[in-house]
Amino acid sequence: MSITFTKNKWEGPKGVFIVSPDLCKGCGLCIEKCPSQVIDWTKETGIYGTPIVGAKRIDRCTACSICVLVCPDAAIDVEKNKM
Amino acid sequence: MKSMPDSWRRETKPHKFCPGCGHGLVLKALGMAMDRLKIADRTVFGVDIGCSLLAWDFFNADTIQTHHGRTVPVIIGAKRARPNLVGIAYMGDGGGYAIGSQHLINATMRNDRILIIIVNNTIYAMTGGQMAPTTLKGQKTETSSRGRDPKYEGFPLRGPEMVASFAPEGAYVARGSVSHVQRLARYLERGLENQLQDRGISVVEALSTCPTNWRTNAEDTWKFLEKEMTDYYPVGELVSPFKRDTQKEAADLETCH
Repeated sequence: MSITFTKNKWEGPKGVFIVSPDLCKGCGLCIEKCPSQVIDWTKETGIYGTPIVGAKRIDRCTACSICVLVCPDAAIDVEKNKM
Repeated sequence: MKSMPDSWRRETKPHKFCPGCGHGLVLKALGMAMDRLKIADRTVFGVDIGCSLLAWDFFNADTIQTHHGRTVPVIIGAKRARPNLVGIAYMGDGGGYAIGSQHLINATMRNDRILIIIVNNTIYAMTGGQMAPTTLKGQKTETSSRGRDPKYEGFPLRGPEMVASFAPEGAYVARGSVSHVQRLARYLERGLENQLQDRGISVVEALSTCPTNWRTNAEDTWKFLEKEMTDYYPVGELVSPFKRDTQKEAADLETCH
């Protein structure tokens, strides 16, 4: 049985930034680790009723995927654009 | 890069750990290592009492939850009965260095072919943040409200250094950190390889975070982990039976986040 989670998407110049409200607990670790300050809080709430993150400054995103790596809940995904 | 390793059990996500807990990252690194070696179907994963027991339904692997600090002997028993299994004992610093330290020492002495992962977040997290053997000097916890004083409470325990001091031939001892997930995954992969090649015991400590009991926000959580904890607990391999390729290692570290 394959489980799917809901996805919030932001399309940027280098890739697509995806956050799943079903998984994000709003710890904010990715906000601190993003080297381009792309990620910020949104008004939406996640699985624990806490604010979740979104790509506020998506135009700066370089699709480096550090946020994917540091998310303890695997709530973030980045799909790189094919060159 | 996949956000969720294949060996994770998707039905049980979101997992049960607190927001910002380092267990998710350690288990992500372990999942990456298990994916690379393709061993999830023959793994026995043992979890201890403490926050680590919340990983009881985490992987697509057989899991057992054991008594306090007794994960190591249970996994050794499974491994001795069925040597083709891959045994992983997963526990916190309370289970590994306080209540279960005799098992850690004796398993190392016997050089049992298992991987022991000890997650060090400097406190007893599940019971509300009491002082642990690994609590740093001056760190405030529920039971050291004025900060840990080495005069009365001793110095923090460096577990991998203790194990490395009497590690037998073939043992693998390393310390990683959740601020470098890929490097931690590499250490765990080498630990598993060491077991698959029947060389000896593997002990990997992972420095982890606990924002709930440290009472920190995201910024201070990273700062405490990367500055104060890493200063006292240096990250790296202490004992390795693998031949060292220093150039490759340097290149690896360049690319690791």
